Amino acid sequence: MIEFQGVTFVHQNGVKALDGVTLKVEAGETVALVGENGAGKTTLVKHVTGLLKPTTGKVIVDGHDTKQTSTASLSRKVGVAFQNPDHQLFSESVEEEMSFALRNFGFSPELVRKRVDWGLGLFGLDEYRKSSPLVLSGGEKKRLTLACILAWDPDVVILDEPTVGQDSIQKEKLAGTIKMLRSAGKTVVVVSHDIEFLWPIQPRVVVMKSGRVVGDGPAALVMQDETLLASARVAQPQLVELYRGLSERPPGPFVDALDARRWFEERMKR
Amino acid sequence: MADMLEIDRLSFRYPEAPREAVSGFDLRIPQGEIVVLAGPSGCGKSTLLRTVNGLIPHMYSGDYAGDVRVGGASVKGSDMRDLSQKVGFLFQNPENQIFMFTVERDVAFGLENIGVPRDEMRERVDEALRLLGISDLAQRAPHELSDGQKQRVALAGVLAMKPSLVILDEPTSLLDPMTAGDLVALVAKLRKDLGTTFVVVEHRLDLLVKVADRLVVMSEGKKVLEGTPRDILFGDDAERYGVATPAVTQLQKMLARRGLATTGTLLTPGELAAELKGRNR
Amino acid sequence: MMWLSGGFVFRRGDSPYHRLDPRVKLLISALMFVSTLLVRSFYELLAVIAVMVAVAAVATVLKRVGRTMVLTATFSAFIFVINIVFTRNLESSVLYAVRFVAIVVSTSLFFITTSPDELEQVMKTFRLPRDVVFAFVTAVRFIPVMMLDTIQIMDAQKSRGLELEKGNIFRRVRNMIPVLIPLVVNSVVRSGELAEAMESRAYGAVPRPTSLVQYKSSVTDKVVALAALALFIAGAYSFYYILPVQLP
Repeated sequence: MIEFQGVTFVHQNGVKALDGVTLKVEAGETVALVGENGAGKTTLVKHVTGLLKPTTGKVIVDGHDTKQTSTASLSRKVGVAFQNPDHQLFSESVEEEMSFALRNFGFSPELVRKRVDWGLGLFGLDEYRKSSPLVLSGGEKKRLTLACILAWDPDVVILDEPTVGQDSIQKEKLAGTIKMLRSAGKTVVVVSHDIEFLWPIQPRVVVMKSGRVVGDGPAALVMQDETLLASARVAQPQLVELYRGLSERPPGPFVDALDARRWFEERMKR
Repeated sequence: MADMLEIDRLSFRYPEAPREAVSGFDLRIPQGEIVVLAGPSGCGKSTLLRTVNGLIPHMYSGDYAGDVRVGGASVKGSDMRDLSQKVGFLFQNPENQIFMFTVERDVAFGLENIGVPRDEMRERVDEALRLLGISDLAQRAPHELSDGQKQRVALAGVLAMKPSLVILDEPTSLLDPMTAGDLVALVAKLRKDLGTTFVVVEHRLDLLVKVADRLVVMSEGKKVLEGTPRDILFGDDAERYGVATPAVTQLQKMLARRGLATTGTLLTPGELAAELKGRNR
Repeated sequence: MMWLSGGFVFRRGDSPYHRLDPRVKLLISALMFVSTLLVRSFYELLAVIAVMVAVAAVATVLKRVGRTMVLTATFSAFIFVINIVFTRNLESSVLYAVRFVAIVVSTSLFFITTSPDELEQVMKTFRLPRDVVFAFVTAVRFIPVMMLDTIQIMDAQKSRGLELEKGNIFRRVRNMIPVLIPLVVNSVVRSGELAEAMESRAYGAVPRPTSLVQYKSSVTDKVVALAALALFIAGAYSFYYILPVQLP
């Protein structure tokens, strides 16, 4: 679905933000992109919709080279929710905000209405339909930007730091949405620092450091590689740390506290 | 001796707001404690913090009832000049609290404003830079700094004023976990070395539970829970107010109910693993 | 935008010129600026430009100044055409066109070698009110931040199918609305946060705030300032009295 072939990107000021990135994301995968600030995660994301074009190398999205395809037509397939909702909300009302992209993509008025209704319902924003998006709380704004993107039903959904400024209840809902997208067959890429949030989702984890991909594999494997995590300044999930500290343990680390409890109870019975 | 921070029956309503943002709030914080303030977004945390450093009522007016005292002196009765030297405020976004073109000028900003003589100012700026380990950044421009460095610069500017109470408003939300962990360690060190009192608003409890003396949970403008992080996280109400229980604490709690773990203190993943290993034998 | 940043944005340098007292740099740029207005012939103007190039060489910014000259030349070509159409006088038209380049370079030389910090110092020397100086300081400080905001907003809207370059001129202006509104909203939010942070750090608490740094003119500064003044007076004298060139 998304393919980076030896992509290097050098900023105008000469800083190399991506350095020979080769990466393939298949349709339907859930991928977490982790690494410290400045590792090149956002730069990578911007290459997927052609907002940035590689200095050398190629980015292929759904068979199209991003150098030869417009951002608008790439965005129709790849929806990106950027970190700061205030960088995009501008309409007079929440429903107008949601219609914006749909109209840009040429949806019929009837379809626009249908999709807006669906999105507002899904994210519990119905009561704000006529309100200005600017009066929403931080968490609601974040949900609205996600609703805006899901409304045009892209094949790939990219979320850039979706948990920033969210309390634990909102985070749980967000994790639910990601799981829903996964079961709907969408390709999901989550850029996040929030390892504790990512861990129970059990995504494929791609670790970045100084513009390079330094680790790539299932969460259960990557998150056990202490040397890798330390060198990329990525935290280890608490449950993995606990698992690593046990002498007698199950074949793979615990996915969540419930999973761990089950195992300890089983073991006590024996 | 009076507590560092005393809040008595405080209520505040913004002009034309339908309800009070903070309502009948009481709190006592002794000198040298690290207190974490938690609660769902929109619960009144930001408003409460602003009544402590005097932005309310000196910058924002509204219906104000009750009293807030820092080091025994009423916030309402003090001016911003005095308050800025008692209460330091580190805001969430470091970008929007750095004004000057070089780090050292920015750290000096508050001192210039209160008219500290140049020689003394030089000493205090250098000391603040040293405390935060950023002496080498003194001549840098803000746009040349990483987010973590910006946050340290902003904190240095706050500490140069020698406040006895420092408020941190979601200081780590824009930082990556390692950088956030460094900042939390720094807070613990400053409390130890300088005896500074800290009030921290934070969602990331996994980083803070080990250094915090107390956790205060707010909901709809009221204080709903107060106690040690252990008492609150092992209690039954934390989840209800959106307080994120770290995964390892959730597990410790579950295992303790079945007699498989102790609940004397909040254990780190390593400690819990060691305890479980011990039982195994 | 790029043109502006190349020609007027300070970049750190370590030449003897950079190290001059900012007030001396201001004096030199002002003298060069006035000279370009005083000259009456193309050859005199060339002499002034030669001085500018020399200053640029000392300041090790020749390349940047060269680029600024080339870019300004586009505007100057326009000035030249207008002049030649209305006055039908080749020499005065050339003079006006080249003069424009020289004016831009003289101003740009000051801005690209003077840090915002030094600019602030210059403003303080002129005893401008602190609020004015501070407003200027924050405005300059937040230019890069606002530019970054603009890029991020444009990226976000393009990702929602906005095509900025699509349609006729009116359509394109309308296309900017989804970019401009968030930019304004963000700036307002930012100003609010800045105001809180300023207030929390006692901005305006005492009528005469102190300053961490103090710029003192060194002997070199004084000598350079005097030399610049002497050159200016000598030049003006020789142009007007020794080599009286009349415009045709």
